[in-house]
Amino acid sequence: MSLKTKAVGASAPDKKTPLAARIFLGVVALYLLVPFLTTLVYSLFVEWTDVLPSGFTLRNYAELFTNSTFWFSIGRTLVLCLVSVAITIVLLLLAMYVVVAVNRRLGRFMQFVCMIPYALQGVILSIGIISLYTGTGTILSNRMFMLFGAYTILVLPYIYQGIRNALNAIDANMLIQAAEMLGCGRFRAYVQVVLPNIVSGILVSSLLAESIVFGDFVLANNIAGTNYQNIQVFLQANMARSSGLSSAIVVVIFLVVAAVTALVLKLQHTSQNK
Amino acid sequence: MAYIEFRDVVKRFGDNTVLDHISFGIQQGDLVTLLGPSGCGKSTLLRCLSGLETVTEGQIVLNGRDVTNVPASKRNIGMVFQQYSLFPNMTVEQNVAFGLKMKKVDPATTERKVREAIAMVELTGKERAYPANLSGGQQQRAALARSIVTEPSVLLLDEPLSAIDAKLRKALQSRIREIHQELGLTTIFVTHDQDEAMVMSDVIQLFHAGRIEQAGSPVEVYTSPVSEFAASFIGSYNQLSGAQFKAISGSDVPAGNVVAIRPETIGISRERPTDADGYVVVGTVADSTPRGNVLRYTVRVGQTTLLVDVLFRSFHMFDDGETVYLTLPERDCLVIPENARSAA
Amino acid sequence: MADISQAGAALAADAAASGAGRTAAHASAEEARPPRGRKWVGYIAFLPFLLVIVGYELLPLAQLVLDSLIGKESGAFGLENFIKVFTTPLYQQSIINSVWISLVSAVVGIVVSFLAARFAYESSERVRNAFTMVLNMMSNFSGVPLAFAFMILMGNSGVLTILGEQWGIPFLADFDLYTGEGLLVLYIYFQIPLATLLLLPAFSGIKKSWREAAIILQASPLDYWFRIVIPNLMPSILGTLSVLFSNALAAYATAFAVVMNNYALLPLQITSKFKGDVQIDAATGGALAVVLIILMVVCTLINNYFTKRASKGREII
Repeated sequence: MSLKTKAVGASAPDKKTPLAARIFLGVVALYLLVPFLTTLVYSLFVEWTDVLPSGFTLRNYAELFTNSTFWFSIGRTLVLCLVSVAITIVLLLLAMYVVVAVNRRLGRFMQFVCMIPYALQGVILSIGIISLYTGTGTILSNRMFMLFGAYTILVLPYIYQGIRNALNAIDANMLIQAAEMLGCGRFRAYVQVVLPNIVSGILVSSLLAESIVFGDFVLANNIAGTNYQNIQVFLQANMARSSGLSSAIVVVIFLVVAAVTALVLKLQHTSQNK
Repeated sequence: MAYIEFRDVVKRFGDNTVLDHISFGIQQGDLVTLLGPSGCGKSTLLRCLSGLETVTEGQIVLNGRDVTNVPASKRNIGMVFQQYSLFPNMTVEQNVAFGLKMKKVDPATTERKVREAIAMVELTGKERAYPANLSGGQQQRAALARSIVTEPSVLLLDEPLSAIDAKLRKALQSRIREIHQELGLTTIFVTHDQDEAMVMSDVIQLFHAGRIEQAGSPVEVYTSPVSEFAASFIGSYNQLSGAQFKAISGSDVPAGNVVAIRPETIGISRERPTDADGYVVVGTVADSTPRGNVLRYTVRVGQTTLLVDVLFRSFHMFDDGETVYLTLPERDCLVIPENARSAA
Repeated sequence: MADISQAGAALAADAAASGAGRTAAHASAEEARPPRGRKWVGYIAFLPFLLVIVGYELLPLAQLVLDSLIGKESGAFGLENFIKVFTTPLYQQSIINSVWISLVSAVVGIVVSFLAARFAYESSERVRNAFTMVLNMMSNFSGVPLAFAFMILMGNSGVLTILGEQWGIPFLADFDLYTGEGLLVLYIYFQIPLATLLLLPAFSGIKKSWREAAIILQASPLDYWFRIVIPNLMPSILGTLSVLFSNALAAYATAFAVVMNNYALLPLQITSKFKGDVQIDAATGGALAVVLIILMVVCTLINNYFTKRASKGREII
């Protein structure tokens, strides 16, 4: 009998990686890593004019972390990330209630308008908003209004897909009907039964959206520019001035985004294992 | 000498022995079934014959030629896989023609052979269809056409019907059997379904844990299982330990053996039979379930439960709780060695 | 029209409910089917979304189209701006450069990532996971940080440039990042992780039994790759190609950080018309933007066509 169980285990033998595959993947991975690693090393040394850099230092980081403009731009970026993603989530959850519980036919329309920003990306979006609202003299011509509006649209496709997949996965319509049978109103059923079940799905897509807002330069630069400098605009403004400081900014930006990505991957992994 | 011969074949994956010194021969033109539960090594043996796996030890001889170290593409075999083996980017016609194209057969011959093979599996009219537009059964028929069109010296079928629903499976079993007889092609069929093996084969090789447990015609394997495993895998034998059998019949059973009795050999009656040929025991009907044309009673005899099958002649001959007399014919009480239980 | 039919349906539903109510005489029947008035309440939840979509997505797009159609000189409605765009050398060059850089970076990206995905697919799970991890991480390394990293590496006093001078490697020493070729190197860099991540799932659709069936049918490895694997992956390859193309077409931050506005590239030219030191020129900018939109829409349509075909096949395979 023990023989049999062993044989079952052997049906999925661990594949060996061919040498050619190892070499090719290694070269590609190295190629992808080199620009960042170079920046990392550059940020930690005084000079790099020979094969090896010389003069290890944390000066660039000390300078960066004592720079109040840096902290302000980080703060602004976080505000942009959190507020715009939160707005989009609320808008989509409300709209999705209508699709799920009132009129399913709106789903098509929603999918269409939510995927447009994915196809258009930042440049078109930002200049369209500038062209429409600049100089109208209303509150809408306020740069902050434009910026939050633009970010809300930018992250729309990602959060929409996350919410839609989560709703499909739990069969929200069926849950609402079941709750209705038990005498619960539709909206209450949506809030109390459906939403708690899609929180993890929303979480993953929102984190993804956060990292997109965090990495955005186009919208911030085109719409707000120096009026409301986010971290990417701050980096761009410093690039010509001090490459040491800039390399430290690049490292910080990358580490933040990498941490968020790692968290997303971890969450996806655990939800898959479930 | 047999057409195909396995000589002391051993296959190991790492430390796991999947095939443990397998030796047997297959006669030309036979349809042989390798039967057994999943993980017993039957598919691995088929793949060793096809050349998709190499053997660790031993020899495989095909038509007098040692093919142990011949690559798969040089063995001239046909193979149908469990599923998904049609190339989705090609039509049925192109799939069937693929092997001939690889052999550089001329277009006119290819066209004729493809047409014949498609007709043989009854897919005429579906030549231009893509696999995505075919049902599971049609896909497997196309795969069958693809594997016989090259006129292989042996046809290997690796659980080809396991993903197909029951009704269609029956029809395909008989179609495969017919094609086998029509072409006289030596065919090896792997399955875990004992009914399928019964219906299709000339010879059954029953596998268990990397070894051959029993070989023989379907009737032999069915009526005279050589071990507790064979009895439990083929049909639904009543299996009684020596103590259980002694308690109801009064007869002794040699140590290390069990008694296996097929449910349909047991007689059941309301009155004590007068001219009984075998052991007569008294029991109580606990349950009855209709199974197609057979009615199966669960009868309690003391501490033992026996299954009894009778033809479904009149509805509910015996009620639950009724006292009945069972006749166990002596020649149908098979004394077979029990499984080694220590490892489990 | 939709509203009217909606109301009609609600009316019919009410009639049916009251009909049922008469026989069953149950108050709960009315509760289960919300009355007409309540149904409109449900749509209120859609309004905020609709407002934001109209205000920040649809109207801005309409505004650009409108900008493009009102002639810069004449102020008349027509194609004047488009004629100007297609006859001015700078704008012609911008369109050509954008399409050229996008196309070449997409093709190089797809070739490299096809091989990478293939090798990853053939690797052990451990190697594949590690590689996917690198892809996921480095796919975030784009825009201004990427531009900066490449300046450090290959800029005028970049590490590789200096080493190239010292070791006498003219390719590195003379490499000019601040040109079309320089941008191309950058664009290829950000295409590779994206393309590989998009192609990897397609490879898992390749069944092991296809390879085995091909071997048994005496196909050579070359036959197997060119007659079975590549034709089956074609929809994914072409779909990915169009994603890469539009990704490069719309990329702004990377290019801006390297060459500012000193290179004829569509996104740079468009942005400079709406922002920047010179006077705002919405007419020309709008026309250029519409050209970019059309290119992107065509790309998206191509991608949709191929992904639909791919998913159609996958459903049944």
